[in-house]
Parts: sequence; structure tokens; C-alpha cells
Amino acid sequence: MALVKVENLYKTYDRVRAVDGVSFEIQPGEILGLLGPNGAGKSTIINVLCTYAQPTAGEVSVAGHSVTAEPDAVKRVVGVVPQDIALYPDLNAVENLRFFGRLYDVPKARLEGHIGELLALVGLTEHASRRVEHYSGGMKRRLNLAVGLLGEPRFLMLDEPTVGVDPQSRNAIFENIQALNRQGLTILYTTHYMEEAELLCGRVAIMDEGRIIALDTPQHLIRTLGTGLIHVGVRDVDEEMLARLQALPQVKAVTHHNNTLAFETVDAQRALLDIVGLFNETDTAMTSLEILEPNLESVFIQLTGKQLRD
Amino acid sequence: MKKLLYIALNELLLLRKDRMAAVWMIVLPLGMTFIGGLVFGAFGGGSEAAVIDLPVVDQDRGQMAAAVLEVLSQTENLNLETAYDEETARGLVTDGKRAGAVVIPSGFSSAMASGQPTALQLIVAPSGQTAPLLEGMVRGVTSAFSNVQTTVEVAIREVQRATGSADLDYEGIAGRAVATALERLHDPAVSARITTVGSEEEEFDVSAQIVPGYAVMFAMFSVLSAAGGILEEKERGTFKRLLISPVRQWSLLGGKLLAQFLVGVGQIALMFLFGALVFGMDVGHSPLGLLLITLATCWATTSLGILLVAVIRSRKQIHPITTLIILGSSALGGAWFPLFLMPRVVQQVGRVTLVAWAMEGYNRLMILGGNLADVWVNIGVLILYGAICFAVGLKLFRFKEA
Repeated sequence: MALVKVENLYKTYDRVRAVDGVSFEIQPGEILGLLGPNGAGKSTIINVLCTYAQPTAGEVSVAGHSVTAEPDAVKRVVGVVPQDIALYPDLNAVENLRFFGRLYDVPKARLEGHIGELLALVGLTEHASRRVEHYSGGMKRRLNLAVGLLGEPRFLMLDEPTVGVDPQSRNAIFENIQALNRQGLTILYTTHYMEEAELLCGRVAIMDEGRIIALDTPQHLIRTLGTGLIHVGVRDVDEEMLARLQALPQVKAVTHHNNTLAFETVDAQRALLDIVGLFNETDTAMTSLEILEPNLESVFIQLTGKQLRD
Repeated sequence: MKKLLYIALNELLLLRKDRMAAVWMIVLPLGMTFIGGLVFGAFGGGSEAAVIDLPVVDQDRGQMAAAVLEVLSQTENLNLETAYDEETARGLVTDGKRAGAVVIPSGFSSAMASGQPTALQLIVAPSGQTAPLLEGMVRGVTSAFSNVQTTVEVAIREVQRATGSADLDYEGIAGRAVATALERLHDPAVSARITTVGSEEEEFDVSAQIVPGYAVMFAMFSVLSAAGGILEEKERGTFKRLLISPVRQWSLLGGKLLAQFLVGVGQIALMFLFGALVFGMDVGHSPLGLLLITLATCWATTSLGILLVAVIRSRKQIHPITTLIILGSSALGGAWFPLFLMPRVVQQVGRVTLVAWAMEGYNRLMILGGNLADVWVNIGVLILYGAICFAVGLKLFRFKEA
């Protein structure tokens, strides 16, 4: 039975539809990734799931509790790691954790031990008594994660948890998430970094403009939708040349935009030989050349015509 | 309820950790109150006016000149210096060493006795701040002596008319008339009787105005600044984190308001303690009245804070707006000067501020020697003021931004 159920979720802010009919389920112990550019609706879904925002329409439940009818029950099973560093900079790590721990009803006898465990998990034990304002960005992100785990949630939501983080802290956060998942924690992970989604998530929902446009395992998405992409910079190209390029056997589609030809290919390596050959034959100059292997980025580009970081 | 207290405790912990807050909430108010006390003479004796040294050059040496010197010497806060000649006295004024000097010209007494015009000469520096004061004093003296001269003239005419004789002892009559008139100067037949209402032996304790005034003003700064902290938390994301934790909204807001309220009460208590220890401030006869007016003031201030946070939704806006409100209401509400010394219009306008109701209460308890019964209305109005601000603020307060 799914731990999280989202059915036909709509959320509108000031006439802007942030989430437009989204449905998905998350099974216990699963990591589901929400992959999409800024403004795709990922954070709004988290806001609804943690009861911060009311759905405009649709049914949303966590562990069998409706987010609208039983928000208190939902709050007790979810943990949230927000995109903002939601910590008190004047307090140290222990003071931050102690305060939020009390709000999450962690028993007094258990609280100090739990704080120690969490600090050890995120690697901040040695910095426990330092004011958070003196932490690096990565350390703040790790403490942000620890606060999200204070209530010992069954379902953890992480909203872009690696934004502005150094590679070392990013790896530490990945390891934390994988370790928590191995212990059975169900996780919803939003990102616009396709590498993170591929690395961490069992399934990925690709979002754009408030909708889920694809939902599957990263491998299956790449296998079925991913194509090798080749970008060729040109000064000018006529319709006849475009038609000849489109007709190449390894090319699925070609578009011309801003002096760049974007090729979706069946096999990027083979298509490249054909494309270069035709450019030589017609004596057409290339100003740049870029080959993108099939991945979630290329899946997203194929599905939306946009880049993830747009 | 437990979580409300946790949130209040966390607010106080944050305050303790904020070093600048300690400066704003303790050092600055105490420092300003100390300076205010120095300026307005709260240390005792400061309310006495300064003594003005006034050189008087007597070039006449006659009976009338002596009378002028006597009248001037009996004027309060004047120290007559009669050893200088005119040139030296003029030099002292020119150099700014004296505010002014008086010259009694030669022939002053004989002119007075014979009814001829004459004048006292007052030398003042053009920009001297005490020049108008000296001018007023000298005008008072010349006016009195003008009356003396008139009296002498009338007396002689009347004697001439009654006796029909021109062979009279003019000098003798003039001398007696002058002597009588001078006596009357000191002991006038008609005088103004000024009745002072209130206890004669109680002097106005300046610190009893300054300390509560500054305490209320700085408590407003602290409380409204803490209210602005809610906006800071909203921008930082911690307010959202609190909202998605298992905490009721009323606990969240209640905890923050409780902390602000306690900060206000603590700050006023500290200022009063400072006033009592440093200035020997008289806190009146009603500790309960003081406590209740303080609690009511802090309740009203805290509620005003939540109203402002509900209406103003940006941290950049809240500081200038609260500063304007605090300074404006402090000036109009009597935090700087006693309300009862202000023009009636200002007193009426000031009534819209919570400061006016608080300060009137403190003035009644600490300056006019009132008791709890004298400040019930003030306490009631402050509680009502707070209740209205709280209700409207809560109605407009947005826990979530969308």
C-alpha cells in the first residue's frame, strides 16, 4: 500500500496554476525524485504534502491521513528539509535541534541522545557548539537535514537540498539520504540536477509547468525517451540543407534555432559521422559542436524542448 | 501550552544571544535616561535657575540710584557687581563674559525728583540668550520708578492746590513722597495673591517624569523590534518550519507575543530600578498601581506590534514606520514632557496614543501622589487599546504567504 497518494492535485496562487492535475504514489521505502526547472511546481507539491498549503482541488494523503482533514496527524509522520536554510543563525547546532525537537514532542529523556545521533549522522558533532552563522553553506544544509529528521519521520521531503553546496557536503548529503533510505525511510526528493535524480531516485517524475510529463525509473525513461543529442553551431543554413540533414538515417529530428542545429538521434556516434560528412560535402562551416549522451537531461529536452536550468 | 512556553523561551534565548539587542535594550535606554536626568536636573538642585552676574555702574550716587540698586539686589537670581566703571562693564559684555550691564546715569536722582525724563541704560550682547530676561527685569525696575516719579509729581501738585501757597519745602515733600513710594515698592498696597494647588512641600521630581517616559519609549522600541522579528523569520524560512511542525498557530504566535510582553515588562522594571537607585526617584505610594499600569502598557504595546506586523509585510518598511510611530507618540503622549504642561490641543491629540494613557497613569502615581483608584481608567483604556489592536492584528495576520 502506498505511503503517499496524490490524486488530481491542483494548486492555484493568485490565478496562477502552480500544480495542474498531478497524480502519483510513493511506496514505502522508495525514493521518488521530482525533476524539473524552477517554477515547475515541485516545491508547491511539497508545501501541500507537509500541510503548509491547502490544495485547490484533489486528494492528498500521507500514511492514510488526508492533508486537509487530518493535518496534525500528517505533521507527525512527515519531515521536511526546506530549500531555505530554516535555522536560527544566532544559536548553535544543539540549541537549534533542541528547540525544534521539543516542538516535535521528542521525549526529554531521548532528546539529547537523539540530537547527538543526528549530529553524528550529518557529521557536525565537532561543530555542535558553534553558532550556525559561522557555518559554511554545506554545514548549514547538513544541519537543515538533521532538523528535518528530528521527529523521526516515516516520510521525508527534501526540497533542492544541495543548492549552493560544495562537492564534499553534497556527497555527504547523498550518503546521508542513501543511508536513511536503507533504513526504510520513504523520501521525496526535488531537484533540477538530473545527475542527482539519476543517482538517488528509484523513480523520477519529470515536471514542467505544473504537470508531470513522465514518471518512471531513470533507466527506463532514458531507454525509451532518451536520445543522443548533437548541437551544431552554424552561421547560416538553408531549407534544402535542413531537409537533407533530417533525412539522415540516424537522425530522428532536427531543429534550427539561434544559429544552432539541434539533432535528436538514434545513435549519436553514428549520426555524428553522417552529419559531418554532409557538412563537408556541401562545404558548410560548423562554428561549434556538442554531443550529449542520452540521459534525463536529454529526456527533459525531448519532452519539453527546454533545458532543465532554463 | 507547553509549546507556547518553548517558543517564548526560544525567543528570549535568541534575544540573549543577540549582542546588539543588549545594547539597544539596556545600554542605550539607561544611557539616554542618565543623560536626560543630567540635563533636566534629576539629580536634585538642577531645577534651580542659574545666577546671572550683572555689573551695575552707579554714576549718580544719589538717593534714587541707591533705591534702584536695592530693588535690583532683591531680584532673584541676580548677582550685582558694582565695582566696575562703564567702560569695563561694556567690555565684559562685548567679550561675552557677562550677559549684560546696567548704567545708572549721572543726574538720575535729581531728574526723578524734579519730574524730568531720565533713563536707566541696559547694555546687552545682540545674541545673548539671557538678554530678554535682563531686559524684562530692567523694564520692571524702570516701570516701578516711573510710578514713583509720578507719585511725587502728583503729591506736590496736590499740596500746592490745597494750600495755594508757592512757598513750600519742595525737597522735603519730594523726599518723603519718594521714601513712601519706595516702601510701597517692597510692600505694595495692592498685590496679586497666587494660590498654588497641591501639596506645598512636595517638589516636582524630574526623574519621575523622565524615567517612565524613556522606559515606555524604549520598551516600545524593543517590543516593536521583536515584532519585526516575525517578519525576519518569515523571510528566513524558520516561521514556515514552525508552521509545518506539530504546533498550533495560536501557540506559535502566543509564544512570540509572550516573549515580547515579558521583554517590555522587564525593560520598564529595569529602568525603574535604575531611576530609583541613581536618581533616588520617588515611585509614589501605589506599587500595585505601577505594576498594573506597566502590565497594561506592555500588553497594549505588544498588541500594537502584532497589528503592525500584520499590516506591514516587509522588514524594510517596518523599521522606519515603527520609529515614526514611537517617536511621534512619545512626543505627543508625554514621554518627553509631562502631558499637563502641554498645550490643550496637544493633550487632546496625544490621547490617540497609548503613550499618553500610560504616561498620564505614571504621572498620577509618581508625580501627583495618586493611588490605584486614580489610574483605573488609564489601565482600562490601555487594556481596551491592546484588545482592539490584538483582534484586528490577528484578523489581518497571515500565517502563510499564500
